Amino acid sequence: MTRPTSLLTLTRRGLFHPSTPRTALPLAPSAPRNHLRQCQPQSQIHTTTTQPNSLTTPRLSQKTSPKLSPKPRAYHSDHHPTQPHDYTNSQTTILSAALHHVPTHGFSRDALTLGCRDAGFLDVSVQLLPRAEFDLILFWLASRRGLLRSKVESDGLLLPSSTGGGPVLSVDDKIQILLMERLRMNAEVKDQWQDALAVMSLGENIPLSLSELHALADDILNLAGDKSVDASWYSKRMAVAAVYAASDFVMTRDTSAGLRDTEEFVARRWADARAVGNKLTGVRECLGFMGSTAVGLGRSWGLKI
Amino acid sequence: MSSRSLWRSLQTQTRRRLAVSETPYRCFSCTRQAQALPPKPGSEEERFTHFGFQNVPESQKESMVKTVFSSVASSYDVMNDMMSLGIHRLWKDHFVRSLNPGSSLPSRELGTTGGWNILDIAGGTGDIAFRMLDHATNINHDTATRVTIADINPDMLAEGKKRSIQTPYYNTDRLSFLEGNAQSMPSIPSNSVDLYTVVFGIRNFTDKQAALNEAFRVLKPGGVFACMEFSKVDNALFNAVYKQWSFSAIPLIGQLVAGDRESYQYLVESIEKFPSQEEFRGMIQKAGFLIPGRGFENLTGGIAAIHKGIKPLVRN
Repeated sequence: MTRPTSLLTLTRRGLFHPSTPRTALPLAPSAPRNHLRQCQPQSQIHTTTTQPNSLTTPRLSQKTSPKLSPKPRAYHSDHHPTQPHDYTNSQTTILSAALHHVPTHGFSRDALTLGCRDAGFLDVSVQLLPRAEFDLILFWLASRRGLLRSKVESDGLLLPSSTGGGPVLSVDDKIQILLMERLRMNAEVKDQWQDALAVMSLGENIPLSLSELHALADDILNLAGDKSVDASWYSKRMAVAAVYAASDFVMTRDTSAGLRDTEEFVARRWADARAVGNKLTGVRECLGFMGSTAVGLGRSWGLKI
Repeated sequence: MSSRSLWRSLQTQTRRRLAVSETPYRCFSCTRQAQALPPKPGSEEERFTHFGFQNVPESQKESMVKTVFSSVASSYDVMNDMMSLGIHRLWKDHFVRSLNPGSSLPSRELGTTGGWNILDIAGGTGDIAFRMLDHATNINHDTATRVTIADINPDMLAEGKKRSIQTPYYNTDRLSFLEGNAQSMPSIPSNSVDLYTVVFGIRNFTDKQAALNEAFRVLKPGGVFACMEFSKVDNALFNAVYKQWSFSAIPLIGQLVAGDRESYQYLVESIEKFPSQEEFRGMIQKAGFLIPGRGFENLTGGIAAIHKGIKPLVRN
């Protein structure tokens, strides 16, 4: 009855967690394109959004040539340029096939069973995924995160031209765009997403869910070009994670066209986060000023400070 | 140590008391007779295997295990409850629930009945088999899933048959019994089984690797090998308590309740001899199975562990 959470958490953290040392070399221009080819959709299903990349199956081609291609990767991350994630070929095949059944069956065992059948496995082969539904959810999160990255790096999501040719975007704008982009990816599974959030909030699943949330916040800030290395490294990640988590809930109830309500919600929350940040900075500056004044005053009175 | 000498004295007492019955009739003391056989001095190239803490020729282990289980068959459940304080039921329930037998979705292939073909090895008394059929029927509403109970021991099978009368599966095609050796089951065709389970049985096999290879043969591609077996406790303190319990209490309970100390002495010794979680996972891998995740799940701190392996699809 003991679940091997700690060990699994470790391996997965090692995989998805971006806190490992960065590679110093920027990727060669051709590298992202190669990864994109891996991430490109082999099949599509009809969705309500305008994204062409919905429910991609990153590696159906694996089935035909398992030996020739490198280990499958559902997402691209320059933190681990060569290291594959901890899903095996068969697991990825099943999970990718199962994603097609998510809009109808939700993140459930049924979706996984149907995925198994599609991939040529038996019903019983669901056992390949020890965490069942939660594995499917994690796969969804990780692959969407990879998709977000490839959209920025390969599709030029954040280039000024793609957003109307205006001036160069600030980091804050980029963060908002990325948050919205990531939320839109969830739109196609919007009706199932509350169930998924419920599964993620189960006690045994919380550590992995949080580490995935942190990985997303980290990715968003990196992609937005945030370069902070002081204490704000933490506060910014927490702010992005909090805004994303809150907006995720709002989105599941959002019935407006094009997720207008969610977009406004994100803008308001991000403005709040900035306001709090500005207040804190103001307080800190004020305290610093008063402190240095006190020190100067003391010195003028002859104190040995 | 003092408890050890205590059992020794108990042991000699029982021996003295029961030494009279040399009839061919099977009684509780048969095990002792089987164990008392001196190892044959014969051929030197004969391979030896362990039977509890003793080394015995491979050819004899099968019959010795058979005597053990023949002698415990009737009191099997009571004894399991007493030895594990009832926890074995929780383990078995968890095992079956995690496997989730039965298809809740209708089969896509026309003309087939759907449902799983389950082979329960060493499942003589039907503990696991009935649970799996119940789960398939009540949880997944699948009335096509069928279980074959295989056991090397006709006495255990007879116990299972007797119990099956109480279940709704008695005399239906969903439940069948098969007497056979798990190391070679020629009556079961290759690639025919969805789920192969062996619960608290594999440690008694003479050649475990051969049994794993045979499991690999009979399973369909994508089929699952699932095994629950006593294993190694990872916490040193808990391990001390557990060892004390298993080496002093269990044989004593066996003597008091089932009137058969030595079968239960064998039981705890065979548990001690069984490979650790990691070694056994290696054996499963060696047979050709894919290992999902970590490959095993510890129950109650590692007293028992569930191992799983999946037969890979044939790629062409």
